[in-house]
Parts: sequence; structure tokens; C-alpha cells
Amino acid sequence: MDYLWDFQSILNNKQLLLIGLQNTLILAVVCLVLGLAFGAIVGIARYSRNPILYWPSTAFVEVFRNTPVLVQIMWFFFAFPIISPFEINAFTAAALGLTLNTIAFSAEIYRAGIQSIHKGQWEAGKALGMSYTQQMSRVILPQSIRRMIPAFMNRAIELMKMTSLASVIAYGELMYQAKVVSTIEFNPIEMYTTVALIFFAIIFPFTLLVQRYEDKQREKG
Amino acid sequence: MGYDWDFWVVFREFGLLMHGLINTLKVTGLSLTFGVPLGLCLALLRLYGNWPIRVPVGIIIEFFRATPPIAQLFWFFFALPILIGVEIDPFKASVLTFSLQSSAFFAEVFRGGIVSIDKGQWEAAKAIGMNRNKSLKRIILPQAVKRMIPAFLERAIELMKTTTLVGTISYADLLYEANTIAQSTYRSLEVFTVAAGIYFVIIFVCSIGVRQLERRMARTGETTAH
Repeated sequence: MDYLWDFQSILNNKQLLLIGLQNTLILAVVCLVLGLAFGAIVGIARYSRNPILYWPSTAFVEVFRNTPVLVQIMWFFFAFPIISPFEINAFTAAALGLTLNTIAFSAEIYRAGIQSIHKGQWEAGKALGMSYTQQMSRVILPQSIRRMIPAFMNRAIELMKMTSLASVIAYGELMYQAKVVSTIEFNPIEMYTTVALIFFAIIFPFTLLVQRYEDKQREKG
Repeated sequence: MGYDWDFWVVFREFGLLMHGLINTLKVTGLSLTFGVPLGLCLALLRLYGNWPIRVPVGIIIEFFRATPPIAQLFWFFFALPILIGVEIDPFKASVLTFSLQSSAFFAEVFRGGIVSIDKGQWEAAKAIGMNRNKSLKRIILPQAVKRMIPAFLERAIELMKTTTLVGTISYADLLYEANTIAQSTYRSLEVFTVAAGIYFVIIFVCSIGVRQLERRMARTGETTAH
């Protein structure tokens, strides 16, 4: 246990790690924005009674919820390029896998949120002469989104953790950069400890935020 | 799109995939075996320990929940052996990581279950002369565990999905074997699709089972909102 910790070698490679952190954040933000946006569409399709909308969206959601996300990323990186009409690099493969995964999970959040709104709200919208789209966008979604916020924040936390999987296909995010630095400097202990701490520092405040938000909602009832 | 699919290559190597699947199940099963009891211990310490115990246990739980599993796995595989001067093979590192990682999540499931039990149950146990340990063991935990079964199963499914990471430290799980076959046959599209299909069948069947159980428990009013 007489190991001499040496964090100087980490500081010497600060630049590499900062690039990694930046790439991690880019990947996370892109997938979160696209995931939540398209998740709304798939979620509404899942809620629909029209079989042409319901079945494809359900199949999509089940496939992406019931396979490991690393399998999805590897599939898009190694398998998909064979039939893909466009070029796939590590970033697009990771972004595709993580975005589709986020769409599937957030679709279920939207669906549950929409379902939780009382039927009377739909009827009231209809009574005012609103169309389905108007009821959805002006009455139902604004009310349900507030209830979905903690679930979305949990999704963002999960997504942040999942971006580290992109290192497996050599996308230069934080985890990958750490692997590079640790092989150059022979400092796996300091390097992987630092990476874990960086992730913790980013993610933990969000988990606290979710808890506080949930407590506040519980008080309000 | 004129791609010639050839699944025959994959079926010729099916034995290798099955070998990988068994390793996947082995890591998942062992991690569950260690993770669940450890999770219960952590939950009890976090709930009933005095603060010099409660605070560090809380930090450990939060740390494992708020860092990516792959960072944990790399730490236990690449960093820990140097730190303690003991060699750790990929299998042991995987089981160690996922036991600890899942125990942090199981601890929160246990805690949620215990907290959800009505105060009256504690008072009733006290009224018939039980001390805290006895009431916990005979009254509270049996009720809490029953309620938490769906949440446990969901975590177990999550764990199985997370074990795909063990390939990164070259433990030959299903995904790792798929990758090996893909590299030797150049049929990555078929191999990865079949591997994804195998994961899907297992996980989907389990999820449906959990949903059925939840529905049945909701009917009999044995479930908690979580």
C-alpha cells in the first residue's frame, strides 16, 4: 500500500482531458436535445389508437429499451456502415445509438405523462372547439411536461454516464482520453480516479437537484 | 442496398456465442448474489447507523450511482491491482465492480421499500414487545421486500445490460464473442444483429414478466409508488 500518488502527470495532460470533456459534453447535449425532441413524437405515437402509429413506435421503443446500449453503439459502428448510405464515424455511431436509446426511454416518459392527465382536460379542450393537435399542444403537454421534469433529468444523468461507452469505439471523449493518457504516463491509478471524480462532480449535483425537485413536488401533492 | 445477407456464418459460430452468453449470465448471476445482500447491509447502515457510519456509506452509494460503470470497471481492473499489489483477472474485476455497483442501486431499492412501510407497523411490533432488530427482521423487511420485488427485477435486468462492458477488459461475454466472430468472418452486420437479437429476446421476456408481476401486484394492492 506504499503507493506514491503522483497527480502531476495528470496536470501535464490537462489539455487532452479538457478536449475529452468537451467531446463528452457535445455528445451528451446533441443526444439529449434530439432524444427529447423526437421522444415527444414517438411518445405521442405510442399513445395513439391508430395501429399504423402505435405498432411501429411500440416495436421501436421495445427494441431500444430491451437491448444493452453498448450493443446499440457497436451495432451502429460495426454493422450499420455496411448498409448505410452515408459515412459513419465514431461520433455519428455513438450519437445514433445514444439518441435512439434516449428517444425510446423519453417516449415512455411522455406517454406516461400524457396518460396521467385527467380525461376532463381533453374534454374541456374539445368543448372549446380545439382540434386534437391543439388539445395536445396547448392543454395536455404544458400540464404534463411539468410532471415529467424529474424523469427527464434522470434520463439526462443516465445519458451522461452512457456517453462514456463511446470510448469503446474510439470516440475521443473523456474516458477515451483518460485511457490514452494512462497508457502514455503509466498512471492508471491517478488517471482513472480523476476521471471518476470528474464524472461524479458533473453528475452528482444533478442527482441532488432531482431529489430536491421530487421532494418539493411531493410537498405540493 | 444490394447487400447479400449470409446468416449461415453466424450459425456456424453459434457455439461461441452461446459460450459468451453463459459468461454473461455468470457475471450477472454472481454480481446479483453478492450485490443484493450487500445492498441490504448498505441500506440498513444508511438508515440506522450513527453518523460516522451513515455519512461514508451514503457517499459510497452516491459515488457508485453517479459515475459511469465503465469508469468503475477500469478503476478496478487497471488501478486497483497496482494499488494493492494483487493481480485481478478480468472475471474477478467484473464481478467485483458489478457487485459493488449493483449493491449501491439495490441499497436505494431496499431503503425505499423500508421507508414505505407504514409507521403503525413499527408501533405494532413495539407494542408486542419486539426490539428494533426483531421488528425489522420479522415485520418490516418481509413486507418491504415483497413490495420491492419488481424494482429488484428491473435492477437485475439493468445489471445484465451493463455487463456488456466486461468485453472492454477482454472478458469473453456475448458481445465480446460477437466482436471476435465479426472480425474473423467479416460478417459484422449479421453477427451484431444476431447478438442484439439474443439480448433482446432474453431481456424482453424478463421485462414482460416484470410488467405482469407489477400488474398483478397493483391489483392486489401490494405495490408502492416508486
